[in-house]
Amino acid sequence: MARQTGKVTPTETTVAPAVAARNAVKVYGRGDAEVRALDGIDIEFAHGQFTAVMGPSGSGKSTLMHCLAGLDELTDGHVTIGNTTLDALNDRQLTELRRTEVGFIFQSFNLVPTLTARENIVLPLALAGRRGDTAWIEQVIDTVGLRDRLSHKPSELSGGQQQRVAVARALACQPSVIFADEPTGNLDSNSGGEILDFMRRAVDEHAQTIVMVTHDPNAAARADRAVFLADGRIVADMADPSAERILDTMKSLGS
Amino acid sequence: MLSLVLRGVRAHMGRLILTVVSVVLGVAFVSGSFVLADSLRSIFNQVAEDTFAGVDAQVRAVEGDLNSSAADELRFSDDIADTVSELPEVAIARGGLLAFEKAYSIDAAGDVVRSSGPPTFTVSWQGPSSVSSFRLLDGEAPTGQQVALDANQVEAGGFSIGGDVTVSMPSGDPEVFTLSGIIDFGEGGSGGAYFLLFDLPTTQRVLGAEGLVDSVVVGAADGVTPGDLAAAINAVLPDNLEAVTGDVVIGEQQDEFGSFIDIFGNVLLGFAVVVLFVSTFIIYNTFATLVGQRTRQYALLRSIGASARQIRSMVVWEAGLVGIAASAIGLFGGLGIAAGLKALFAAAGGDFPDGPLQIQLRTVIVVVLVGLGVTLVSALAPAIRASRVSPLEAFRSGGRPPRSLSFRLITGGIVFVPGVAMLGVGMFGNPGSTSSTLALMGAGGALLFIGTSMLSASFAGPVTSVLGAPIARLRGVTGEIARGNASRNPQRSSATATALMIGLALISGVAVLTQSILDTFDEILEESIAADLFIFEENQGLEFSGLVPDRLAELDEVASVSGYSTVEVRLDGEVVSATGFDSASGTDVVDMGVLDGDIRIGGDGVAVLDEVAAERGYTIGDQLSIEFEDGYTQQVTLRAIFDDAAVVENDWLLDRSLTRAHVNVDDVAFVGLTYATGANPDAARAAVEAVITAYPQLSVQDNTEFRETAEGQIASLQIVINGLLVLCLIVAFFGIVNTMALAVLERTREIGLLRAVGMTRRQLQSSVRNEAMIIALFGSVLGVLLGLLLGWAAVIAIPDSVVRNLGIPWTQLIIYVVVGAVIGVLAAWFPARRAGRLDVLDAISTV
Ligand SMILES: Nc1ncnc2c1ncn2[C@@H]1O[C@H](COP(=O)(O)OP(=O)(O)OP(=O)(O)O)[C@@H](O)[C@H]1O
Ligand SMILES: [Mg+2]
Repeated sequence: MARQTGKVTPTETTVAPAVAARNAVKVYGRGDAEVRALDGIDIEFAHGQFTAVMGPSGSGKSTLMHCLAGLDELTDGHVTIGNTTLDALNDRQLTELRRTEVGFIFQSFNLVPTLTARENIVLPLALAGRRGDTAWIEQVIDTVGLRDRLSHKPSELSGGQQQRVAVARALACQPSVIFADEPTGNLDSNSGGEILDFMRRAVDEHAQTIVMVTHDPNAAARADRAVFLADGRIVADMADPSAERILDTMKSLGS
Repeated sequence: MLSLVLRGVRAHMGRLILTVVSVVLGVAFVSGSFVLADSLRSIFNQVAEDTFAGVDAQVRAVEGDLNSSAADELRFSDDIADTVSELPEVAIARGGLLAFEKAYSIDAAGDVVRSSGPPTFTVSWQGPSSVSSFRLLDGEAPTGQQVALDANQVEAGGFSIGGDVTVSMPSGDPEVFTLSGIIDFGEGGSGGAYFLLFDLPTTQRVLGAEGLVDSVVVGAADGVTPGDLAAAINAVLPDNLEAVTGDVVIGEQQDEFGSFIDIFGNVLLGFAVVVLFVSTFIIYNTFATLVGQRTRQYALLRSIGASARQIRSMVVWEAGLVGIAASAIGLFGGLGIAAGLKALFAAAGGDFPDGPLQIQLRTVIVVVLVGLGVTLVSALAPAIRASRVSPLEAFRSGGRPPRSLSFRLITGGIVFVPGVAMLGVGMFGNPGSTSSTLALMGAGGALLFIGTSMLSASFAGPVTSVLGAPIARLRGVTGEIARGNASRNPQRSSATATALMIGLALISGVAVLTQSILDTFDEILEESIAADLFIFEENQGLEFSGLVPDRLAELDEVASVSGYSTVEVRLDGEVVSATGFDSASGTDVVDMGVLDGDIRIGGDGVAVLDEVAAERGYTIGDQLSIEFEDGYTQQVTLRAIFDDAAVVENDWLLDRSLTRAHVNVDDVAFVGLTYATGANPDAARAAVEAVITAYPQLSVQDNTEFRETAEGQIASLQIVINGLLVLCLIVAFFGIVNTMALAVLERTREIGLLRAVGMTRRQLQSSVRNEAMIIALFGSVLGVLLGLLLGWAAVIAIPDSVVRNLGIPWTQLIIYVVVGAVIGVLAAWFPARRAGRLDVLDAISTV
């Protein structure tokens, strides 16, 4: 069940990364109230790679996600998704990019309350006026185990089920990259584990690129790579992280 | 406490301003109605005082039970003036004669000089005196074959003093007079009316009232009080005449104007009440939503020790501030409305004498009470709901569960059922007079609206969902989202839709009634009218000279002709209205459906409606005694029984040869005629028109034209009513703006999410607009359905002579539904723009 799009595999290192940030700076406020949420970040995320972003509260993780996903503008520097540089895009182009190239999973409140689970899953496709790859969508639905809940409204779903719908939505349109900001933050360890399983499978079986913010070392250990932020800078970058190494690094960073 | 209220007001300024606007419209209308009515009353009171300023007493005919309907035309011998002037208490006594819309000046081009609105008076004038309110501006008082005109008429007709003025006469033979002078009435305010002044003998000749006057105005000799004067005069008057003091006359005139102004003012007030009624739903909605959004805040306040009472009074205070602001703005808005309406009248030709706008203390008090009252009453339920917020709700996520369906069904039913019952009693029961029928139905209608609004909350969800289905299909997911949003808060959707519903229900009801009246009219034309041509006064349906049918009868091209007039007579001991017609014409002109006997009743016969005959047991050949207003009595034979009074309008028919001999003024309401067999219709019509040119106020119309005239008149009435009802739609518009703005605000986070996953600004805006359209469509469809019900109710309640067939103007009703939907789309414009402008991240991180 290989993905039908001709996306490159992670081994082809000559190809441009899925997402990249160059000298990313994000400043909030002015004068005394100035906060440098991102303070010159250079980072690349390769195709088919599952990256965990960690760091103490206020270190700039969410800000980085938002800027990478085209939800927010950088004060300085550039973000590229595939071959597209975001700073040249207007609002409509950014919106269309979010629809097709980016999947986003928030910590909570991911779903439109008036739409059913199925409608929420295909929402970005529907907004684009596309039907999408129906076989793929059915497969995603089965993978996240939502078949019997498809006609339910979000208010009729548990928190874990809601997050699964959000994951399914992110996967459904086969984006270049999925950003997830603490997707398991509100869930118990069982439900959270399931969500992590789905993301892991999407990376392993379909070469999906995922960037996930988490505070949980065990969750981060499921990723291919862990990046540590502090005060808007990258302070550590580790491949194939394990929970112990992550904990050590967290301790050394004092969080 | 107060600072919390003020902070609340400031925080929700935008929404509260929209609420204020909807209250202001209603309040301004209330204030405008009062101010305009008070101003007009004060102006006309002044006019009445000016007119009779020098009159100490007036002699006039006593009203009897057979002549009450034509009191101003009761004439008596002009000898009375001589008798009166010989009294020692009398300084001056002048007999006078007045009529309106009887004679007109005709300009050099042969066109009648006539203003479209105010009437043209023919008045006798014996020159300036203390008892006359006419003044000479130029030239001299008229004598013999002379006429004096007012300045407006002189200018409009291009006349000049010493020059000729052709005057159309009620006799049908125009005469040429010399313009002796230019006159002015009272203190320079004739209200746009025209005057033709002749000396008394000439006026009597012009009006065909030789030797008659309709009043004698008297000035007292030095030292005689008006009361003594009137007593002295009464001592020498015959029984059928009386003398009253000038103050009595002034008082009567003022009352007469006053009651007209009251009707006018009450009609305006009625519309104001409707507008206020509509705005209560908007106010309720705003406060209900505000309270809903602040539930957590209230809960927090409760948990730190605020009492339920304090929370309630916070909301009430906020409503009070809105009410006071609205009242203040509305009071002054009313001045604008009053001034605007006055200017409108002036533009229509009825320039009122100038006078300041009157703001009475009563107006201020009523306006403040109404504005404040309406706002407080509307905010009461939300305030109580706010006070019931428990401290625990501070920690509960999401809104409160809406009230249960059964609660809404029960309360809605409690209001709805009596509403329907009252409508039903008004329609089918017999509550007595027409006015109590209408009052019952008005109250029933109001309850019906409130009840429907409450009940509609229970079906707003599914219905909006159905109404939204085509949009969802057409617009894809944005339509689907719009549809879902429209049906997600049924209570709010239904309250929003209610304002539109009421406006459109009234407008559709009027349309149904209008159509029904036209259909009834068509049926009457079809069934009851056999005439080839009709002659009548088109503007106000005024009566005109009874000589007209005589002149037409002389034409060879005319076979049958009849004038129709109404007289009050005492028939078989009872006062009834009877129609006088030329019975020789039989049923050729108006077919009254003769069941029995010969309708050619002749001067000593009478015909009666079958219902009356059955009720009283009359049969053909019965002898009845009949008495006229002049006291003349004779026996008449019942010669015919008929069953269709739609055109003749009275239950009894008499021959006009009898009625015209015994009435004060021989007038007819309309004339109908048929062409002689073999006459060329065009030639016949031309001959008729040639005769009618002598009566410039009259129109000659065949059935088709008659239908068009009626249609035009009804349509213009409908336009005026709709013009006022449009205010309801404006309030409804603001209501939708308000609801959509609140909804956008409430869903900020959801909007952020939608934008984040790829909804463009355009799609977002279109989904907000579509949502408003679905809600508006819900209101319009309900409104049009209720309008059908109300129209049907009105058709049943209004007497069959006016309307008896239910006519449904489908095209208009469909247009109203579309208009409603468009109002929704337009109202959502700003909220949609605001939604589009939201920053995605800010929106998402909104709690
Ligand atoms: N809209 C904003 N205006 C001003 N400052 C902001 C804004 N958003 C974030 N910040 C600041 O930027 C910094 C980084 O915030 P960010 O939300 O990216 O942190 P985070 O790493 O996601 O924290 P957490 O783990 O608590 O979610 C913080 O100091 C925060 O106060
Ligand atoms: Mg964060």
